[in-house]
Amino acid sequence: MKWLTASRYVVLPVASVGASWIAVVAVSFLLIRLIPGDPVEIFINHMNVRTTDELIAAYRAEWGLDRSLVVQFAIWLEGFVSLDWGKSFVTGQAVTAELFPRAGWSAAIGFSGMASAILIGYGLGFLAALKPAGVAACLSRLFAIGGQALPAFAVGLIVLWVLAAELQWIRPFSGGVVERLLLPIALVAFFSIGSVSRLVLVGFCEVLNAPYMRTALAKGLGRGEALWRHGRRHAVIVLLAGIAPDLAWVIGGTAVAEIVFGVPGLSERIVAAVAERDYPVLQPYIALVAIWLVVGLRLTAILRRSLDPRIDLSLEVGHR
Amino acid sequence: MLFVLALIAIGFFWQPHDPHAIDLSQSLQAPSWDHWLGTDHLGRDLASRLIVGAQSSVFAIAIVLVSSFGIGVVAGAAIAIGPWSVSATLRWLAETVLTVPTFVLALLLAALFGAGLMSIAAALIVVTWAPYALSLAALFDRLRGEQYWQASLALGAGLPGALHRHMLPNTLPVLGALAGADAGRAVILVASLGFLGLSADTGHPEWGAMIHEYRMFLFSEPRLVLAPVCATTVLAFLLNRALDRNINV
Repeated sequence: MKWLTASRYVVLPVASVGASWIAVVAVSFLLIRLIPGDPVEIFINHMNVRTTDELIAAYRAEWGLDRSLVVQFAIWLEGFVSLDWGKSFVTGQAVTAELFPRAGWSAAIGFSGMASAILIGYGLGFLAALKPAGVAACLSRLFAIGGQALPAFAVGLIVLWVLAAELQWIRPFSGGVVERLLLPIALVAFFSIGSVSRLVLVGFCEVLNAPYMRTALAKGLGRGEALWRHGRRHAVIVLLAGIAPDLAWVIGGTAVAEIVFGVPGLSERIVAAVAERDYPVLQPYIALVAIWLVVGLRLTAILRRSLDPRIDLSLEVGHR
Repeated sequence: MLFVLALIAIGFFWQPHDPHAIDLSQSLQAPSWDHWLGTDHLGRDLASRLIVGAQSSVFAIAIVLVSSFGIGVVAGAAIAIGPWSVSATLRWLAETVLTVPTFVLALLLAALFGAGLMSIAAALIVVTWAPYALSLAALFDRLRGEQYWQASLALGAGLPGALHRHMLPNTLPVLGALAGADAGRAVILVASLGFLGLSADTGHPEWGAMIHEYRMFLFSEPRLVLAPVCATTVLAFLLNRALDRNINV
């Protein structure tokens, strides 16, 4: 029995996460290699050398493109897991050396942005539920509308223009690490706060109408205390159930923030890699994004399950 | 809204200047009667480029909306009435697609077909058909429980007839509202992906690509960046206002 429980809560989730990850990565691997342009020809054209069949064959052999797709994928997968991501076709440098420092910047922006959005959004949602006509409720609605109706890059550029060009309060391109990260994080957070706070608000409002809430109030608890004590868990559950789009937003949002504020993160390099058909750079990026999404979605599902044992995960085929 | 549409329509036949004409002697001119919004670093007229850019933006958005709506309705109907295997596969596909970041998808497609407006549109279609399909299926599940639906089938109406008679009037308004809400979002997404450098097609200006091109002038000539930024924001806002009745929910 014990082994069964362990297999249900540890082995199975890990296996299913691994399976989805490999599926995503394999599909993207195939897609990238279906690209019409041949990276070898593009590379040789760049060097302005006359293209000969031997030259092409030599490069194909060196880059491992002459083998079957399955073998290529197996080699790549082994390399990815053992942190040997190969060399960029274009710059010839090790991909790990190129991407790791950039990944640090991107991860800092993405994680902090998401974390601050959840913290601020949660507080805002709670206050909005407490006082439906108060300042917090109004703010939460504004964030939600703004997050839907405003383009992220537009907000970023205008903020940059006002703060850096007009008022000259900050030096976003030359300042210290904190100075450079502050605005990108704020931008990523700004567009998630709205949806987070709406979800939290929904969670708290459901609790407000529950019979046990009436009991708690009758018992003599203050409104805020009762709501916090009985609702905070439920609000987290609702938030976890609806956060998937925000997990995806962090990827695009970080990209926008990096380009607007000139942070040397992953996105800039990736866009260039697309133009140059630089598979070894593109592939790990997609694999990393896939890890973030697959693990993130699984984790929210498991967290929900542990907060509310009534939720049966095996019934959920996909996740919204 | 009407004003913007009129401006776009006029732009098909007439622009104040040739948007592609490079005139280095006229570079970075301040706004004047001749050049309403001034000129860019190559001396091209900014207002003309904006108007022409509006065409490609609106064109891309229209393609995205129409195709995702069409695919969504067909897929939704297949989920609702198809055999179990088809409907389960499609539902899984729709739910999976919803969690894929548009940016990554657009990257992949840009790698596949080359960077350009069509890759962006294709990426958006791949993502945006799913909500239509899922809500159509959900609406249809509810419809199936209604008596008039069962009655019409019992009375011998064929499935296509019943679908036409009962399903379309019951679902199209909801899906239409969804599409309205999506229109504003599509403006933003198209411009965002263009801004990230994925619409490299510089021959035909597009707002996102213009912002991408002009972003280094943010400090010296902010109007070059702010004009397309404002255009995008205003169009998105107007579309949201005009089509999305429940943005306050």
